[in-house]
Amino acid sequence: MRLPAIFRTTPFRLTLLFLALFAAAAAAFLAYIYIATAGEVTRKADREVTREMTSLQGVYRQGGMNALNAAMVERAAGDRPFFYLLLDKDGRRISGTIEESPVRNFKGGEQWVGFQVTETDMDGAEVKRPARGLQQKLAGGESLFIGADVGAQEAYVTKIVRALWGAGALVIVLGLVGGALISRNVNRIMSGLNTTVAAVQAGDIGARVQLRGAHDEFDDLAGGLNDMLDRLERTMGALRHAGDAIAHDLRSPLTRLRTRLEVALLDVEAGKGDPTRALEQALQDADGVLKTFNAVLAIARLQAARNAPDQINFDPGELAAGVSELYEPLCEDKGVEFKAELTPGLIARGNREFIAQALANILDNAVKYTPEGGAVMLRVRRRSSGEIEFSVTDTGPGVPDEDRERVVQRFVRLENSRSQPGVGLGLSLVSAVAEAHGGRLELSEGPGKVGEMGPGLRVAFVLPRVG
Amino acid sequence: MRILIIEDDLDAAAAVVRGLTEAGHEPTHAPDGAEGLKAAQAAEFDVLVVDRMMPNMDGLTMVETLRGQGDQTPVLFLSALGEIEDRVTGLKAGGDDYLVKPYAFAELIARVEALSRRRETGSVQTLLRVGDLEMNLIARTVHRQGREIDLQPREFQLLEFMMRHAGQSVTRTMLLEKVWEYHFDPQTNVIDVHISRLRSKIDKGFDRAMLQTVRGAGYRLDA
Repeated sequence: MRLPAIFRTTPFRLTLLFLALFAAAAAAFLAYIYIATAGEVTRKADREVTREMTSLQGVYRQGGMNALNAAMVERAAGDRPFFYLLLDKDGRRISGTIEESPVRNFKGGEQWVGFQVTETDMDGAEVKRPARGLQQKLAGGESLFIGADVGAQEAYVTKIVRALWGAGALVIVLGLVGGALISRNVNRIMSGLNTTVAAVQAGDIGARVQLRGAHDEFDDLAGGLNDMLDRLERTMGALRHAGDAIAHDLRSPLTRLRTRLEVALLDVEAGKGDPTRALEQALQDADGVLKTFNAVLAIARLQAARNAPDQINFDPGELAAGVSELYEPLCEDKGVEFKAELTPGLIARGNREFIAQALANILDNAVKYTPEGGAVMLRVRRRSSGEIEFSVTDTGPGVPDEDRERVVQRFVRLENSRSQPGVGLGLSLVSAVAEAHGGRLELSEGPGKVGEMGPGLRVAFVLPRVG
Repeated sequence: MRILIIEDDLDAAAAVVRGLTEAGHEPTHAPDGAEGLKAAQAAEFDVLVVDRMMPNMDGLTMVETLRGQGDQTPVLFLSALGEIEDRVTGLKAGGDDYLVKPYAFAELIARVEALSRRRETGSVQTLLRVGDLEMNLIARTVHRQGREIDLQPREFQLLEFMMRHAGQSVTRTMLLEKVWEYHFDPQTNVIDVHISRLRSKIDKGFDRAMLQTVRGAGYRLDA
């Protein structure tokens, strides 16, 4: 048998468990109260009976049988809640409020007994009530029995116990109702979470949990879930974008390669072309495709990871010195003056390999676009903000203001750069490296126009401050 | 040179075997890691060329196993995984060099030949000599035909590498990796400029050019 859904919820089960514990505690409590009060009622009756007995014994000692009898009659007529019975030496009734002693086989001395009295109540029904009694031998051989009705007090205890039971039952009913209400409430909160999880499972990565604004642990959980989904969505978006971009980026060079091979085949078949030359050309094209592929993959991975791997603290001046040492001869060969101003002793944090590559790409561009007689300047410094800036300034044609954002995009090559080798991925990679380090790439105008030269370009690769 | 190629791509392996044979070596092929391990344990090889990802024991495990048994044969890893971390794990597992697929054939041969030379230089050399060119590693001086040649520190390192691999083709990527320790591919061939400077210092004014350009591969220093 399947229970209704509400009985299977965790809050409801917890309520049941709590109720069971409560009921056990209440039962133990009731038992204690009963034992304590019921015992007390008996002891109280015994004390009162003893006191009455002592008092009547006193009367007997002073005035003998007659005084005792008179006192007894008088007391029985009053409002004292006792039963009296005076018996002679042979145990026969002399006087009293009951017919015979509940004490069977009285042996003399004193003897306690518990017994029942039968009364007729106002409706005429017979009621039996518990009582306690004491029989004692008098000095003259007679004996006196005094009893007390404990039923009235015990009935009181019973009432209390019954009231407690009733309260217990009420608590259990209220507990069940409360449990059901809490379950429904928690269920409603959870169903928001569950709906979102189900939506995400069904493929809607954009689904989010509505926060209730209660700032409780459920809102925390919902917020955490939303953050996790945000991050997943971003990563998935970046990966999808990277996949699309790679497909797009590789299609054109592959198409070019294919066309070239096809034309070469036709030429060779027609006896016009040189097969070796055609194959060499194809090999070169294939290498170009691979180079593009590697660059695109590196960019995509950096963008997807959002954080460059293996970051360490390093001296940016030292790193720049290494890269500039690689490029300096290239400048000299081309008749371009190369200057470096590297602040020593700075600390930057990042993946050295990626940053060296980024710097190499920037220098590569600078040397490529600076004409003979121009200059390239590499500078490493610490900005007042604490950021580390690698900047390369050249005296080439520069990039017009409106194009500066565009040249960082993939495969964008400005009109006048088409004559230069390259695929247009250099600055995109630099930008991806900067972003993967929490830094940025800034393009601005170089030193300005000097004769035929300029205005030049200033490329700044900025890394965030360390610590 | 006896070379063991452990590669599960049979077409690629056949091409490598053929190319190495034509270059005058004796290549042997094993189709997976387990076979490769057996072959490497059974015979002496000068160089192992190991694909990283293979069925029946991958390349990393295979090389780790061999190194664990004390086999120090130089290993060149081939891999489609080209990330920096991949190369680092490859070298940590006991690889001596790492080449990312796809590679130019000249690159593979140059690296295999460079590896085989490594073992011979067991003792510390203080003097390198190639033909009439002499390099003193302690005094950090270079002489050709008794005439001193003044080199910049990086030129000295470059020449040292070329001399240690005299008679072998070395590629631009190898030079960039081993002399400059950069693992990226520059857009322009900056290495060419450095080589031409070095060439002008060691060959200019002498009757014979030692530093040769190898078409489609890189450079070679001839005695």
